Amino acid sequence: MTLQAWLTAAGGAVALVLLGWLALTRTVLGRGLAVPLRAMFVKPETASYPEAPRPTAPRFHGRHQLNRYADGLEKCIGCELCAWACPADAIFVQGGDNTEEQRFSPGERYAEDYQINYNRCILCGLCIEACPTRALTMTQEYEIAADSREGLIWTKDMLLVDPPEDGYDTPHTDREVRDRGLNYYGGLAVTPPTRKGGSFAPATAAPLQRAGAVVPRRELPLVPPGTGDAEGEPDGDGGSAGAGDA
Amino acid sequence: MAATEVKVLSARYDVPGVDDLEVYEQHGGYAGLRRALEMQPAYIIEVVKASGLRGRGGAGFPTGLKWSFVAQGTGKPVYVVCNADEGEPGTFKDRPLMERDPHALVEGMIVAGLALNSEQGYIYLRGEFAHASRQLAKAIRQAYAAGYLGEDVMGSGKRYHLTLHRAAGAYICGEETALLDSLEGRRGQPRLRPPFPAVHGLYGCPTTVNNVESIAMVPLLLVNGAEWFQQWGTEKSPGTKLICISGEVRNPGNYEVAMGTPISELIELAGGMLDGRELKFFCPGGSSTPMLPASMADTPYTFEDIAGAGSLLGTGALMLFSDRTSVVSVVRRFTEFYEHESCGKCTPCREGGYWASQVLARIETGTGVMDDLDTLERICGSVAGRSFCALGDALTSPIMSSLQYFRDEYVEHIRKGVSPFGVAPQRDVPMLDPAAVAATARERASLSALLSAATSAAGDGSGA
Amino acid sequence: MSAPAAPGAASAEDLVTLTIDGEQVSVPKGTLIIRAAEMVGTIVPRFCDHPLLDPVGACRQCVVEVEGQPKPVMSCTVPVAEDMVVRTHLTSAMARRGQEGTLELLLVNHPLDCPMCDKGGECPLQDQALAHGANQSRFLDQKRKYEKPVAVSPQVLLDRERCVLCARCTRFSEQISGDPFIELFERGALEQVAIYEDEPYHSYFSGNTIQICPVGALTSTSYRFKARSFDVVTTPSVCDGCSAGCGQTVQSRRGEVQRQLARTNMDVNEAWNCDKGRFSFPHLTHAQRLTTPMERVDGELVPTTWSRALARVADAVRASQDVGPGRTALVSGGRLADEDAHVAARLARTVLGTDLVEHRTRFAPADEAPARAVLLARAGGAPGLTYADVEHAPVIVVAGLDPEEEVPVLHLRLRKAWRQHRARIVVVGPHLGTLDGIAWRRVATAPGAEPAALAALAYGDGEIAAALRGDGAPAVLVGERAGAGSLAAGTRLAEAVGGGVAFVPRRAGDAGGLAAGLAPGLLPGGRLLADAADRAEVEAAWGPLPAHLDGAAPVDGLRGILAAAADGAVDVLLLAGADLARDAQSAALAERALARVAGAGTVVVQDLALTETAARYADVVLPVTATQERDGARTDWEGRAQRFRRAVDAPELAQDDWEAFVQLAAVLGHRLYGSLDAIRAEQEQLGVRAAAHPLPEAASAGSTGAPSGDALLAVVRPLLLDGGTMLAGADDLRATARAATVGVSRADAARLGIVDGADVTVTGAGGATVTLPTAVLPDLVPGAVVLPRTSTEPPVTRLADEDGVVAVTLAPVAVPAEVGA
Repeated sequence: MTLQAWLTAAGGAVALVLLGWLALTRTVLGRGLAVPLRAMFVKPETASYPEAPRPTAPRFHGRHQLNRYADGLEKCIGCELCAWACPADAIFVQGGDNTEEQRFSPGERYAEDYQINYNRCILCGLCIEACPTRALTMTQEYEIAADSREGLIWTKDMLLVDPPEDGYDTPHTDREVRDRGLNYYGGLAVTPPTRKGGSFAPATAAPLQRAGAVVPRRELPLVPPGTGDAEGEPDGDGGSAGAGDA
Repeated sequence: MAATEVKVLSARYDVPGVDDLEVYEQHGGYAGLRRALEMQPAYIIEVVKASGLRGRGGAGFPTGLKWSFVAQGTGKPVYVVCNADEGEPGTFKDRPLMERDPHALVEGMIVAGLALNSEQGYIYLRGEFAHASRQLAKAIRQAYAAGYLGEDVMGSGKRYHLTLHRAAGAYICGEETALLDSLEGRRGQPRLRPPFPAVHGLYGCPTTVNNVESIAMVPLLLVNGAEWFQQWGTEKSPGTKLICISGEVRNPGNYEVAMGTPISELIELAGGMLDGRELKFFCPGGSSTPMLPASMADTPYTFEDIAGAGSLLGTGALMLFSDRTSVVSVVRRFTEFYEHESCGKCTPCREGGYWASQVLARIETGTGVMDDLDTLERICGSVAGRSFCALGDALTSPIMSSLQYFRDEYVEHIRKGVSPFGVAPQRDVPMLDPAAVAATARERASLSALLSAATSAAGDGSGA
Repeated sequence: MSAPAAPGAASAEDLVTLTIDGEQVSVPKGTLIIRAAEMVGTIVPRFCDHPLLDPVGACRQCVVEVEGQPKPVMSCTVPVAEDMVVRTHLTSAMARRGQEGTLELLLVNHPLDCPMCDKGGECPLQDQALAHGANQSRFLDQKRKYEKPVAVSPQVLLDRERCVLCARCTRFSEQISGDPFIELFERGALEQVAIYEDEPYHSYFSGNTIQICPVGALTSTSYRFKARSFDVVTTPSVCDGCSAGCGQTVQSRRGEVQRQLARTNMDVNEAWNCDKGRFSFPHLTHAQRLTTPMERVDGELVPTTWSRALARVADAVRASQDVGPGRTALVSGGRLADEDAHVAARLARTVLGTDLVEHRTRFAPADEAPARAVLLARAGGAPGLTYADVEHAPVIVVAGLDPEEEVPVLHLRLRKAWRQHRARIVVVGPHLGTLDGIAWRRVATAPGAEPAALAALAYGDGEIAAALRGDGAPAVLVGERAGAGSLAAGTRLAEAVGGGVAFVPRRAGDAGGLAAGLAPGLLPGGRLLADAADRAEVEAAWGPLPAHLDGAAPVDGLRGILAAAADGAVDVLLLAGADLARDAQSAALAERALARVAGAGTVVVQDLALTETAARYADVVLPVTATQERDGARTDWEGRAQRFRRAVDAPELAQDDWEAFVQLAAVLGHRLYGSLDAIRAEQEQLGVRAAAHPLPEAASAGSTGAPSGDALLAVVRPLLLDGGTMLAGADDLRATARAATVGVSRADAARLGIVDGADVTVTGAGGATVTLPTAVLPDLVPGAVVLPRTSTEPPVTRLADEDGVVAVTLAPVAVPAEVGA
């Protein structure tokens, strides 16, 4: 092959490739054909969804849950801040009054009713940011479809997690709660309130153990406070409540 | 070079039976009243003014001037109230006077009543002074019987009644408006001023409230004249003063001295410091006056000199502390007193005292952190000058002055984690877990470091 | 004392010019710095300061800097001075530091439980901590701990941990309401609000302390944890509890009223209301509430439809008209809104063709309505005597009225007049009632003999006459219990001394009913049925009035109507909000009338709840809406008409009263009004009579029948909190009701051997009895007793004879071997 013939052939090939490239990128038909052409070289994306759901992104905002302390008391105090924060007006909370015999949460107030309307919820997460006790968190569960509008309204019993191991379902009595001696809010607040009206309760009455940070209360070592545990904010109790944290 | 006592008010203390009218009269008693009855009321006030007598109850306001402010001719009765609610820690000058020489006060009250055209006087006596109350009651009874008190005082046609009121023992009732509230039968809490008691006092009527010592001095002024009084003391602080020396001296007690005697001489008068102890600091006028270090012991005991040194003469309660005493412990005790005695009306005093005493308790018992010194200063800054009455200022002065002169000692307490003086806690203290406190303090320190880093990074020069 | 309360009237020389944050402002002399700052738009943060309370200077939050003053100045206690230079936190570092410092101190002992605190979201402490506070507290130590919460009364809860000890509540109870049963105790950091050991905080005004509490220390039991301030729908409204006309805020959530607050209206209620107005809303959702029309079938009330119910009423009306004209009667109980009353008046006159109309359940003196019509026309449709007039009157004459029990907010104004303006209050009547603490003089009269005393008051050289003739315009307040001719006498008294006069009815719809002409012989706007010109004016708007109404002598109010009904002259009795079986002044007459009509004719009850009358006598029951569930307007005792708006939806089938009236008229073939606006337009067009009629002559001293023998004449006084239907369900509120007692004079008590506190049996007409504890009243005239109206079971109205007079005998309940009866 002469140099000239080789050059002609090469030129022809270049022209052909150029033409082909132009046809595939500059013409309507060509651009359409390019898609399946490209797809032939890509790994298939198909997921066998109901059988093998894929894990979501680590910070995916799925449906909500209402958490409990290690002893089973509800973290939710019925403050309605989540409802206030909600841009879609999807949350309804009705506060109630804890009594000595029927205690649902530390402090005076608990959520008598709690509903999230997933017809409206946009899963934006502003509610969990607003929650002052980390009672409301979001799971990674996204399968919340239902076949009726009513079915998309999740009530408190659906949202509340099961009591942790060694914890009890609510309500508890004040005596039980006091006997556990847990400190629910950190700091030095004593909860439930002492019944010593009119005088200072000694600070020694304030337990340093924080219920949010511990699991089985019997295994609670008297952690010398200040070893880091005192400040460690309990983990966002997604799923298993605080297991293995600290 | 110990100073000598000048017994003027206390001259009759050792006369046996002077609490009886007869003996009192034999020793020149009621001569001041007789003089007063010859004078016009306004002239009596002039004499008191001319003498330069300054109120002995703590503030040192000229008594004559105070009397001249009392509204006359309003159609309302004028009341004279004697503040015998001697409650300032370290002060014990009025009680001996009332116990030993009660007629001196009764006579002074009558003279004050004449000077102010008042027909009713009250002695507001501290509730715990049982003996003084008996003695005063007896003296008043005798004065009524002898015609010094009653519808017609010594045949002058003037009426004057004197009532002894035993208080319930609250420090705040030494504040004159709280005293008036308490006297009226209400909670003793200071009143809003203006209107001042001189215009709108007891039961809404013009009222003057004076200390026992001031009132008891007035008859003597009338008898002897203003110049006589000025032979002692300085131009601005004339006369003699009953002082109460307490603390670590050999002979603590009540002394009457001429104003202007240096404090070091007063210490000598009280027999000097106890063996082996050296003066470390002193409170010149009771617990509510800023404490001064030993280096200022040469200050003459006058209103103006002590004010120049940065403190107050107060009620004349000189409290002396030696090098064996922890400043922190003293300040904590004072602060707990003010916390307990705060009436609760205004926020700074109520909450400031509550907070400061907890911080001081922590420092003394070894759980303080370095931040606490700033916190104390900040609390005092929020209390001083902002409280309703002077109790808030009184609360801050020992803290602020001790931090000024003895900051090192606070630091030592915090560093060592224990009081170097080994003082046992005086009161049930809310014990905090030291580590938790330290941890929170650390957290805050790191936060503020972060904050300042952020602000400086942002180029914002304010950095407050 | 305190700052002057009448700004606006200040002349130029009364103004003080000062500089606040570099801005010059002229304010009346004596204004506090904090108020002056408000005038330039600077809100200095504060807790203890309240414009209607005396300054106290307790919280120390309102720090400002005043040039020339070394110390910071509390702006809530210091009045302005000429050329003062004030720098607030906006321009002064010292003031800002001071405020931050005080806030930090306030938060030292304040628990940070905002999320569960009812005040969270509307809390001044929260707001100010956010706006002016440091972002972190240095406080590491122990906060004070108290039991939380403590009930200081059945409806007020106290959380002492949250209290910032601003003393607003204690000052309110001492200065405004005058029942200081809540006080500060202890001292220092342990200072706390508390109640006396054996006296709960029972006050008719306790709810105001909750509203003015700047933190969540005082909360109400009825609102506890029910909603959040940011989660309620707020609707301005007007209270329907009494004729005071208090502004009110209704807050609802999901169509249910959560709480009611006082709405500031400085002309009427200032910033206060009474507990009845605040806490009585549970009756809206009470089980007794009517939600659907009912009709009586075989002796039982069964639910039905509006059309069937109205058809039944219309049939009855037509049947009655066939018998003869004017055989229907319409009684409204004083609950109706102004528009309802207007429609009712037209319905009765033009559709039903009757003058048997009445808006009062009491047997009012015959001259009361004409005299009130005269006052209405004289005022020309505007308020006559106002709250402000009462407040600034140097002398206030009160006759036949117990303001705290009947019109509580008027009582607060009287107290303010007494406390701040040193008004002299003269009480005319058999007893002082709750005015005993503030009355200056009292003119004792037998019950019903007030007119003669009022007439004599201005004459002679007594101190009362002298005071009345002094500077300023006195005020004369005549109440429901004053005897016949009192209002005319009071009006003449006011004329003689250059003052103002007002009739103060108790119920909210009373003034509106009168203005609508809902009384025999009356037409809207102070017109009289007997006057041809008046009739012509009304006929221009309403069309011709039936001829038989011409010249007929008006019946004697409710007594006349009931007497006619009892005699069989009434076939259809329309009761709109009138529970006659309980509320009519004479239960005996009412029962006789109701039984007769229920037997032979038709009783129609149109009401909020299934009342006793409805349950026992009604043939047709129509459910209507309450104030909170509708639009409308009400006229208060001053003559001030105020509109209210719908806050929540009406339950099920309830309709507004006026709608029910209009629909009944429509079934009867008359088109009345299509909307509230149409009614209002007609009210406006009709207005009031241009020139007032002359005052009715003093009736021949209609002595209310001096009781014979041992009988004592009763003053039947309603208590604010009684057994009324509007209080149904408000159990916490009713728990604070004053105990029902029988008030006996000292002389009678001694004569009858009755001791204070002992139970006595009160026997009235027909032998009906009530057993009540005695209260020996030193201020009661002998021969009279004071009885509560509907606080007992059976109500005292059962003791009345058919003229409504309650003449009773007292017998001590036999205590073993003590006082023989």
